[in-house]
Amino acid sequence: MVPMLTKRLILILLLGLASMPARASLQVFACEPEWADLVKTLVPDARIKVATTAWQDPHYIEARPSLIAAMSRADLAVCTGASLEAGWLPALINKASNQRIREGKPGLFFAAEQVPLYQPHDHVDRSMGDVHSEGDPHIHLDPERVPLVMEALADRLSQIAPELENDLRRRHLQWRVQWNLQKARWQKAAEELQGTGLVVQHADFGYLLRWLGVDAVLDLEPKPGLPPSASHLSKLLAEPELEKASAIMIALYQDDRPATWLSERTNLPVLTLPGTVTDEHQTLSEVISHLVARLVAQNKTADHNG
Amino acid sequence: MVLSKYRLSALALAIAPLVSVQANEFNPDISVVLDGFYKGNNTALSEREEGFGLGHTELSLSAPVDDLFEARLTAVLEEHEGETELELEEAFLQTTSMPLNLGVRGGRFLSQIGYLNSRHLHEDDFVERPAAYRALLGIHYFDTGLRLNALLPVPFFWQIGAEAFDGGNFSEGEEDIGVYTLNTRIGGDISAAQSWQAGLSYLKNRQLHADEEHEEEGEHEDEHGHDEDHGHGPEFTGENLYIADLVWKWSPRGNARDQQVVLSAEYLFADDINEFAGSGDNHEGWYASAVYQFAPQWSAGVRYGEIDVSEPHEDHFDKRSLQETDVMLAWSHSHFSTLRLQYTHQDGNGFDAADNTVMLQYLMTFGAHGSHAY
Repeated sequence: MVPMLTKRLILILLLGLASMPARASLQVFACEPEWADLVKTLVPDARIKVATTAWQDPHYIEARPSLIAAMSRADLAVCTGASLEAGWLPALINKASNQRIREGKPGLFFAAEQVPLYQPHDHVDRSMGDVHSEGDPHIHLDPERVPLVMEALADRLSQIAPELENDLRRRHLQWRVQWNLQKARWQKAAEELQGTGLVVQHADFGYLLRWLGVDAVLDLEPKPGLPPSASHLSKLLAEPELEKASAIMIALYQDDRPATWLSERTNLPVLTLPGTVTDEHQTLSEVISHLVARLVAQNKTADHNG
Repeated sequence: MVLSKYRLSALALAIAPLVSVQANEFNPDISVVLDGFYKGNNTALSEREEGFGLGHTELSLSAPVDDLFEARLTAVLEEHEGETELELEEAFLQTTSMPLNLGVRGGRFLSQIGYLNSRHLHEDDFVERPAAYRALLGIHYFDTGLRLNALLPVPFFWQIGAEAFDGGNFSEGEEDIGVYTLNTRIGGDISAAQSWQAGLSYLKNRQLHADEEHEEEGEHEDEHGHDEDHGHGPEFTGENLYIADLVWKWSPRGNARDQQVVLSAEYLFADDINEFAGSGDNHEGWYASAVYQFAPQWSAGVRYGEIDVSEPHEDHFDKRSLQETDVMLAWSHSHFSTLRLQYTHQDGNGFDAADNTVMLQYLMTFGAHGSHAY
């Protein structure tokens, strides 16, 4: 009698456990907010845990308990890849021991693997700084590459949750129309910005700037990933290239002291801009529109002053 | 149109491996850690001797084996009294595709008890592990065995785990399974800026009574005493070891790049230290540490710890104690290089070697980009 009851209890428990993953809604782990935005666009009722914010350097996140818990439950993890998250994502994946989310499985989606990257290297060593052999991973503000990522993401989501395919294909189409409309506007702005120059810090905005034809003439970082040093900053002061810059552009998460230091000595204004979506600019195209608008406004002031 | 774009990216993907120099299936991740130091004076319970010396020189290889397993090999080279010794710190397989968030690890690995024990020594914020670890765990406890871990399906982080070990690296004995451990951890975020983790661990030493001759080894240079000096088994053991640990981290808006504060503390308690042990005859140790990374490349820290141990002599016990304060300043030019200056102050009762010392340490890592646990 008792063993029967125990058996039944165990059976119920096992069935309960087995049925738990049966999803009410899709659970997604997004390494960066830009990918959360794309997922939300395709599957609005997905439950999304975002590992970073625009105020955090995505290279330096910790595999902390809340992220492990979220990763362990996720159906899909969407990350940048190309070693951007090399300092924390492997630890997170290991700790979460989620059989769906492993390198090579459909549950792990890397945006940087869907597009050709800028400047892949045959030879990389650490004396060059934090250079990724795969190429520059900061692709999320590129008007051309984001649609390619979105397309691959729509394919991947359809593969993981086939029941959502019709809806998400429709949403994808709508998104693409909107994106192309916006892109036409950015294109106009690019005509104005073409040939202007900026001092930057790290490659966060690199893809967008190249697309706009804006020249990143100098970098506050002495080597990619190394924080700006006093000696490097003094060297920048003497650079003739500085002439071509009309502003210093840094991301929200970056310490603004190096940029401020240079600004005080060169009178170049500092533009502290969101590197990804925030509460204020909730979609990638809003962020790009905001960035473009700020650059255009800055350019007008510079022209006016110049 | 849609398809052609996709093909374009697929084409780029196909070309990418040709130009990439990343570790791949034919080429495991290799990482090397070099640890060297200068130490002013000898100190109690320390394996680092005064003068110039090398600490933990580590060579590690890891790779996915196939779609079910990954494996890691870590060899440690250490120098003791002029001899270089090769030690196998890790040689394990880890499952990667178990259902229900289960994970199995088998082979030689670091036990997951406590907060620090499962971490590699080069990840530490101070030159040496706290006195409690050096006395009660032999710096860090690793052994050959089997581990089963599970993440419970709750909305927060809750991990439980059990390990069974040969036990030969903890104390000598004949038992096939000399040591087993139980461990649980919970943790979460308090805000975007703050996160925490707490853990409880239990270690059962089933071969304690074969262990009694250990106490003599300090004096006699016998073949086992040689081992004793560098972490093959703690000097002070009990049948039961309990550990509680707590970690709290803060960084502005959660951006650990520029600034971070890490507070951590652990308490270790061992009882049933031998057959004569009464209720007060046990070992105890704790530490609390605060480390402040105040700039991207700079961190400063202070740590205080104590141990109170009972040294068996026939049927009675001598109480010994050690208090240790460390202050350190570290500069990491990049993620891969660290120079550390540390001052250690020891007060001992029954530890004649207790002294104060200045240490200068370098840690150089090259090869694969290791990702660190919380």
